[in-house]
This record gives sequence, C-alpha cells and structure tokens, in this order.
Amino acid sequence: MTISRRDLLLGTGALAAGASVSVPYFLPRYRQDRRPRRSRVAILRMDDYVQSIQDSLRRGLQLFRLDVKGKTVVLKPNLVDYIPGNAINTHPILVVAAAECFRELGARKVIVAEGPGHQRDTQLVLCESGYESLLRENRIRFIDLNRDELTAANLSAEYSGLQRLWLPRTILGADLLVSMPKVKTHHWSGVTLSMKNMFGVVPGNKYGWPKNILHWHGIQESILDLCATVPIHFVIADAIMCMEGNGPLNGSPRWLGCVVLADDPVGGDATCARIMGLEPDRVPHIYEAAKFLGNSSPDLVEQIGEFARKPEVPFRVVPEFEFLHSAG
Amino acid sequence: MSEDLCAALANRQLPNGGWSALSSSAQASLEASALACVALVPDSGCIGDRETNFLLNVQNPNGSWPAFVGDDHLGSWTTSLVLIALRSVAEASGQRLQAGEWLIRSAGKESSWFWKWKFLTTDRHVRFDPDKFGWSWLPDTNSWIVPTAFAILALTQPGAESSKVSKRRVELGIQMLLDRCCPGGGWNAGNGIVYGCPMAPHPDDTAIALLALSSYSREPIAKTSVYWLACVAPRLSAPWSLAWSILALAAHQRPVDSLMQRLSGWPRLDEVEDNSTLAVSCLALDPPRTLARFGIAP
Repeated sequence: MTISRRDLLLGTGALAAGASVSVPYFLPRYRQDRRPRRSRVAILRMDDYVQSIQDSLRRGLQLFRLDVKGKTVVLKPNLVDYIPGNAINTHPILVVAAAECFRELGARKVIVAEGPGHQRDTQLVLCESGYESLLRENRIRFIDLNRDELTAANLSAEYSGLQRLWLPRTILGADLLVSMPKVKTHHWSGVTLSMKNMFGVVPGNKYGWPKNILHWHGIQESILDLCATVPIHFVIADAIMCMEGNGPLNGSPRWLGCVVLADDPVGGDATCARIMGLEPDRVPHIYEAAKFLGNSSPDLVEQIGEFARKPEVPFRVVPEFEFLHSAG
Repeated sequence: MSEDLCAALANRQLPNGGWSALSSSAQASLEASALACVALVPDSGCIGDRETNFLLNVQNPNGSWPAFVGDDHLGSWTTSLVLIALRSVAEASGQRLQAGEWLIRSAGKESSWFWKWKFLTTDRHVRFDPDKFGWSWLPDTNSWIVPTAFAILALTQPGAESSKVSKRRVELGIQMLLDRCCPGGGWNAGNGIVYGCPMAPHPDDTAIALLALSSYSREPIAKTSVYWLACVAPRLSAPWSLAWSILALAAHQRPVDSLMQRLSGWPRLDEVEDNSTLAVSCLALDPPRTLARFGIAP
C-alpha cells in the first residue's frame, strides 16, 4: 500500500483536529496536586451541645499538634438560614468551643466568618440561631462575608469555567481556615460537608442571594474550583445533630452524636459520608477532589479517634442522589 | 434619634464620596452608597454634589453600576438603587437614561427560550413559571425577588422613561413577584416551593417585594403577605428587617408607630457595623418622606 502526499496531509490534519478537541478532556483541570501523603481524621463522640464539649474538642485537637501560635484563625461555620426545629446551621456552642480552643493554643486572632447563602439579613440569622449572644459573651469577632471587602482571585482549577471570583479579604488573609460544616444531605449536591461549606465565602453583595452563579457554572465544579483556590486547613464537622432527606433547609433531623476533625477536607468529607452511610467516591466533588486536594481512600486516611462506622440505616437522600447509597 | 443616626451615617462617608458595606472597610459599596444618599437627601430633595459626583464617576460604560468600586464592568443589581438615588439630579438625566436602557435590556437567564424550555420540561424541582421573569443580581443568572423589586421601583419613578417596552418589563416583573410568593404569603430570595416543600418567607425580602407592589394592595397575594409581615414585624430581632418592614407596612397603609418606637430604641443602633442597615434605619424613622423618595405615592 502506498500513501500519497495528499493522504498523509489529510491524515495528519484529521489527527491534529481530533487531538485538539479531545486532549483537553484528558488533561487535569487543576494546577497543583496538594494531596498529603497521609491524612488524619478523628471522630470524637459527643452526645449533645453542652459546654463540656470544649474539653473533648481540646483533647481532639491535641491529637493533631496544630501550630497556630501568633496566627489568624478563621472559623467558617455553616450558617444558612433559621427555621425553628430544623438542624440547618453548625451549632454555635461548637463554634464557640472551637474559638476558645484555638485561643488556648495561642492563636493571635480568632474570627468567625460566614456569608449566609439564603438569608440576606445576617444579623437576623445570627440572633435567631443563638450565635449573637454567645459570640458577644465570649468576645469573638464575626465578619459578614457577604459584605466584606473584596479582592479578585484567579481560580486555581478549571472545572467551572469561572476563571476568577471576587473573594473576601478575611478569607484570603487567614493563616488557618477551619471549615465547620453541619453534616447534611443536600438536594443539589448530594451532601454538604466541609468543601460545599465554602460556598459561604462567595460574597452575596457581588453574586447575590442565593449565589446563583455557582449553580449556573455547576455546583460540583464550583466546589472544586473554590477549594482549589481557598485551601481549607482544618475541618471540624458538626455531626452531633445532622440533617437527612431534603437538605439543606427542609430535611429531617438525624442524630449521629459525634464531631469529625480532619487535617484534610477530602479525608474529612469522605469520613463524614461513610458515617452517613453514603459512598464517598460516588459524590462527584469528593471523587474528583481526591485526585488533587486530599485523600478519600481509607488506606490513606489514618483514623485517630473512634473508627468510622457505617450506620445501620443510611441517611435518606432525594431520589436524584439514591446512587450515593451502596448496593446491598 | 433619626438625626443622631443620620449624623453617624454621614460621619462614615469615605473620602471618595461613597460608603462601604461594613464600617471596617474602605471599599465603597454601591448598595450602601445609594441607600445612604437617599437617607441623607436634604429637604430640598436633591443629593449633594459630592455624592452625585461619586455615583456618576463610578458608572460603567454600558450605563449600569457595579456592586462595589473596583468591580467588573458588567453591571449589577445596584443599578436600580443608584437610579432611585439620582432621581432628582437634573444634571444626571443622560446617565439615568443610559442606566434605564441597560435595566430594560437586562433580564433573568430564564427569559431565553432555551432555559425556559429546560425549566418547563426537565428542571422542575423549584416551582416557578419561567415565562414570568424579572431581574437578576448580576448578568447571566436567574431572576430573584430583591433585584426585581428594586428594578420595578427604579423604572416606575416619576420622570423615568416610560416606553412600551419598559411598561411591559415592569408588568412582567410584577407577575414574576406574584408567581414566586411563598405558599403562606411573603417572599424569600425567590423559591416558594422546592422539591414539593413550601419554603419559609423572609421579612426583608417580603418587605422589599411589597414596596414594589405598593399599588397592588388589593391583590390577594399582597394582602396575605402584608398580613404575614404585620404579624412577624413586632418580634423581629434585627434592625435591617425591622426597618424594611416599617417602610413596606407604611406603603400599604398599616400602622407603624410602635414599630418605629422599637427601632428608634434599638440598643447601639448608631454603632451597627453594616452601613446599609444604618441607612435603612434612618429611612424607616420617617416613612412618608422615604416613600416619596422611593417614588411611592402615599
């Protein structure tokens, strides 16, 4: 068989065109692989929101030997809205306990910061959910991230196509950013854990309530871009009273009775998913984040507290996320 | 009290003539600036030269206003608020016209046939009629209650351009507000029912929607929502929601004296960090004057 010059040119052209279309799909969409060699996660048994959880939390944090001396620590709880009886928000007693622990560890400044995604009146959410009085009594500063001063940040991953976001200076200036999610199922993203919790750093004053631009660019994709750009240094997940079903606002309360600490958000979220009875690798953003942000495999996650047990009855999810339940 | 609050607000003006969202920041926010300008308008009815120059200097080339100074030039929801603040400034008539045209061109993303089709066929977890659309917080996103309500107020200002297209957009915006009401009355960001579950209304969103519906007091949805707001307002634990509630209830001819007393006695109101809250509190302590400044007929 002979190949003419014309055939060769046509073939080369077709190959180049095919490659230019398909190669981007195989290239990684992140710029940096930040996975630690091993991650550490601790599950601390805590039955209720009582003042004594500070002692348990202190003991749990000691297991991680965090160096926060002289640093600015920003605690980012999940504070969305207030509906009496619904376990929507990270409990303020846990947030205050965390603030006190970081102060004891020598932090220069501890700030609680959040930009509620549903309710524009942040002070109303703070008052009704019990935050305002507790933060005032304990002299803890709160920053409303929906209205904080903003700086443009180029995104460090390319999943959403957003390329750039305006982000609050409080978040960008944190030495140690602690994501403190409420462990919940979520009707758009499957779960809302430490990585999904970062939607709260996107400022409402610029992007609105809810932060609809993230929905249009893909919730799972936006979570990945945000977490690549704003690294979560530590996780304290409120899994004492959780939410299942139609979360994040209208699900049912579900008691798990524990707090999950992690030095890796992917490891922390994967562990939370396991104790919810969900398969972490089936949550798209956990699966993808395990390629560059942290470790989800139990082989790479050292459990230093109680062992992560699957519940007898998994958390209920909306029908679109039934696939998060393992078969059988 | 009102004078003390206004003095505190005036003291927080930035050197460039604007106001920041939080008193701890030096970045001017157009929401806080526009609300402060309306709150500090003297009885002569026109904002000062310094404030006017600030607002005109930061207008985007396409006629819109940014969310804050330094923002991208695509435009934002604050355009409506600035239009209201500039309503009596004669020398800004050209800029107002340009802004009005931008506002009329802007629409929630569900207004395009493709997304409308998607929301009518495959994406039906949030109950709403995409044929009834309003305005978004920023381009290329859906319509939501607050930007739609402010756009309606801006486009129905006395003296605002009232073309056929503008009237049609206002009418659609009103239909959108009525469509997205929560089942028991009132509004939240714009999701009345999600996954078959009725969502709870928010006092501030409800109040702002009711200001835009001030000529629709007889509409059953407006009536139910006014009733809901009148019930929750006396127990509100934050001045922002209380202040907007006072204005909305006054616009719908409900008594507000006791609510105003409560707001004026609010502890350390002049120290509140959020400048928009301070500005709206100033506005709520004189409802007739404020409603006139928003172009709402008594």
